[in-house]
Amino acid sequence: MAMHAPAAESHSLETNTGLDNRKLLMWLFLASECLFFGSFIAAFLLYRDRNVVGPYPEDLYDIPFTSVSSFVLLMSSLTMVLALSAIQRGNMQAMRVWLVATALLGLSFLAGQAFEFTEFWNEGLSLDQNLFGTTFFVLTGFHGAHVSVGVLILLSLVDASWRGKLTPDHSLTVELAGLYWHFVDIVWIVIFTLIYLIQPV
Amino acid sequence: MENPELLLGIPFVLLGLLGLLIAASLFAVPAEETAGGGAVGAHAMARPHDAHPTPSEYVVIGLILAMITAVEVALYYIDMEQGVLIPTLLILSAAKFAFVVLWFMHLKFDSPLLSRLFATGFFGAIVLFTVVMATLGANLV
Repeated sequence: MAMHAPAAESHSLETNTGLDNRKLLMWLFLASECLFFGSFIAAFLLYRDRNVVGPYPEDLYDIPFTSVSSFVLLMSSLTMVLALSAIQRGNMQAMRVWLVATALLGLSFLAGQAFEFTEFWNEGLSLDQNLFGTTFFVLTGFHGAHVSVGVLILLSLVDASWRGKLTPDHSLTVELAGLYWHFVDIVWIVIFTLIYLIQPV
Repeated sequence: MENPELLLGIPFVLLGLLGLLIAASLFAVPAEETAGGGAVGAHAMARPHDAHPTPSEYVVIGLILAMITAVEVALYYIDMEQGVLIPTLLILSAAKFAFVVLWFMHLKFDSPLLSRLFATGFFGAIVLFTVVMATLGANLV
């Protein structure tokens, strides 16, 4: 496969690791986030089928709808990495287009989540209705909050770019935002399979 | 003891500690690299950065991810044995996870230190997950 070296990363840094400390810190943060979401996913699977009253997961899930949401978030990872590739090639206009596309896909995912939450609420599921409701809303709500923060970061990058404060020399800033965004995506990959597709018999 | 079944969790805790030890050993920098603080930086600076994929390759990976998702959803609607369906879904999910982490997040091309850092958190989460599921009696299905 043909590869190209990112222009802004052609030099290493004079740190003990040879890596930028901000990047190291971001990966450390993401490692801690694995434990954060791992705890909530475990709690969900533990309590999902220990409900005294309904509604139950099988009564509420709309798999085709959630599949589309998953697809949207997955494609936002593609647009994000294309934004990074664009700034590494010095193409700021393309970077802005891909960043806006990523933010719009993220907002679409959030709109889908808001719709799903409203539907579940109308069916009688709330945070304190049963253990499924508690663990479901906490897990997916925290994930949605992460997506919201990601969208804000993306829009702030677009704004900084328009004001000339984000240049090809700042490709690491876009890379760090991308790492966060991709992490939010991989968390959803796990949630989609474990929470939605694998159902208790 | 009020809940003797909790003792079943002890092997999993030990397994978790073993996993963390392995992760910690992956972290350890070889002795020749630590000889002299500047030597580490000089070594790292001399190592060229690996090249990243091209935009067209990213698009190919995006298409692969979309196809895997389509297969997952299709499998959900096919009447399959749970014993076959669940491992298949987990493998497909792991494949998507790996594609994103290795290619989109560039772990395949970046410093191994970053991979070790993330692996520590990831396997820590797996251990936590396993211990919770095993000790508190939860099931995937």
